[in-house]
Amino acid sequence: MLNLSANWTLVFGPTKLTLNAGDAVLSIVVLALGFVIAKLLERYILELSSSTTYVWVFNEDTAKMLYNMTILIAAFYSLHLLGILAYKVSGTSLSDILTALVVFYFSYLLAKKSRDYMLMRTTPEKLPEVQIKAKLLYYTVITFAFFLSLNIAGLSGRLSTIIAAAGITGIVLGFASQTVVANFISGVFMYFDKPLKIGDAVRIGDVEGIVNDIRILSTRIQQWDGTLVRIPNEKLFNSNIINLQKYPVRRAEITVGIAYKEDAQRAIDVILSVLDEEPHVLAIPEPRVYVHDLGNSSVNITVWAWVPSSLWVGQNLLRSKYGLLQRIKEALDREGIEIPFPQRVNWFAEPIRIRVEDEGKG
Amino acid sequence: MFGPFELKTQFIKIGGKKIHLLEEAGGFVRYRRGDVERLIKKVDGGKLLVIPTPATGYGVKLLMILLREPLAVPPGESVEGFLEAPVDVEVRTGSLTIDRFVPCREKYALYGSVERGAIARYYVSSFTPNEPDSLGVLKVSVENPSGEWKGLDKVVLPLDGTPMYYSPDRAYYPMVRILLRNGGPEVNNTGEPPREGLSSFGPKRALPKFLMRW
Repeated sequence: MLNLSANWTLVFGPTKLTLNAGDAVLSIVVLALGFVIAKLLERYILELSSSTTYVWVFNEDTAKMLYNMTILIAAFYSLHLLGILAYKVSGTSLSDILTALVVFYFSYLLAKKSRDYMLMRTTPEKLPEVQIKAKLLYYTVITFAFFLSLNIAGLSGRLSTIIAAAGITGIVLGFASQTVVANFISGVFMYFDKPLKIGDAVRIGDVEGIVNDIRILSTRIQQWDGTLVRIPNEKLFNSNIINLQKYPVRRAEITVGIAYKEDAQRAIDVILSVLDEEPHVLAIPEPRVYVHDLGNSSVNITVWAWVPSSLWVGQNLLRSKYGLLQRIKEALDREGIEIPFPQRVNWFAEPIRIRVEDEGKG
Repeated sequence: MFGPFELKTQFIKIGGKKIHLLEEAGGFVRYRRGDVERLIKKVDGGKLLVIPTPATGYGVKLLMILLREPLAVPPGESVEGFLEAPVDVEVRTGSLTIDRFVPCREKYALYGSVERGAIARYYVSSFTPNEPDSLGVLKVSVENPSGEWKGLDKVVLPLDGTPMYYSPDRAYYPMVRILLRNGGPEVNNTGEPPREGLSSFGPKRALPKFLMRW
């Protein structure tokens, strides 16, 4: 028979821990009970998730979170029964430290879930703006939870000491992290300035593609070839950003060279008829075709055509720009209008003597 | 031809396009339109539904019909007539869309300014008192309740959610009433059929009134 009033003493180096047998049994029972309740709770939420319309609340994640929370509470109570939580580490009880950690952990889960919920409920049109708001909410809750946890752990009283101690380190780190801070502040400014949003097609220096994500420190651009480019927000903020889809339409420009011997007006008429047949060249504003340059080898004709912005970027260029170029080339070929190679006419000051050798002579 | 078609070997002609249905072994019907091919499993009573849909093209929400001859309406008067209009065609088996195409000239235009405008499907038509001989038809009633002469050079119509009507050989947009007020023409897509005896597609409801700002 187990003597429930017996005491056991455990020694860990300089620390002695006295356990009562009755308390130990009780703590095991509490732990087991906690496990059973956690399992039942998890199963109930999972069943509810298959029938509820509030899937964003009752789902697998929530079930797992509640399961973990119940197990943690049971573990806490067990440790409390054993008297372990009363021990102090650096002047703070173990109980306060663990409570602080739990509060921070569950605040993190809550913030994450709220962020995901905001993103899930929004319409595709509002997604870019909501994404930034969701991130702000997430970081606000995390920051608040951090300071709350410090307070619970009893460290807030010593915050000034910590800050003072961190002062020197701060100066050192300050120099090292000024880029990070600059990126962060640029990110905040960009939120209000809104030079671009997620889903926009942009050109920034040599980088061109779709804005994939705007983060606190950097912005990610998915290029047309599928590669992802990370641009620090500070660099982005100081760059010339060309938003290729800010407006519904944009003016496309194509230059075609024809031979000098050709009738330029006829070539213009042929190109205009191709533009008229092309669905994605807008009828209003009207396209313009004009002789723009008398080049070295060709008469250069420029086409100004207004097109839907979304069709004049990335892979869509295949059916818009390149398709149009091909049809212009084919139409000019059909009409017998020559697109010349570069050519040069040479004049010699004196007649050139040409010697023709008779191959028949040995 | 619009309407339901039996899944058997036959040609269906719509505008300038041709659909070819070809019965094959194993109870299949091959659907062919140019390069587009589908294989349809035949079932008893199964039909191929060819219906007109609003001319949204690559995803626009407005239709702009430019009047070849701008209309002048006296004060307090109203006129009723027809416009040629573009339509798209959808081919369905049950509720599944298996093909969608543009049977007539496809052209777009900017409605409004570059900064604040929108891309609209574009068409040029005359205003005629009698129904025109075209695949798509829009019946309009233009009323001038003001005390001054008013002009109308184009009709801009929201397409999103509009019902469509059709006879075997023609597609119709719902009846549209245009009020020429001082603040700009007000377009009312009534959702009603332009005449009796037409089949319909889509919920028969009026769309919110649209003010032509440009």
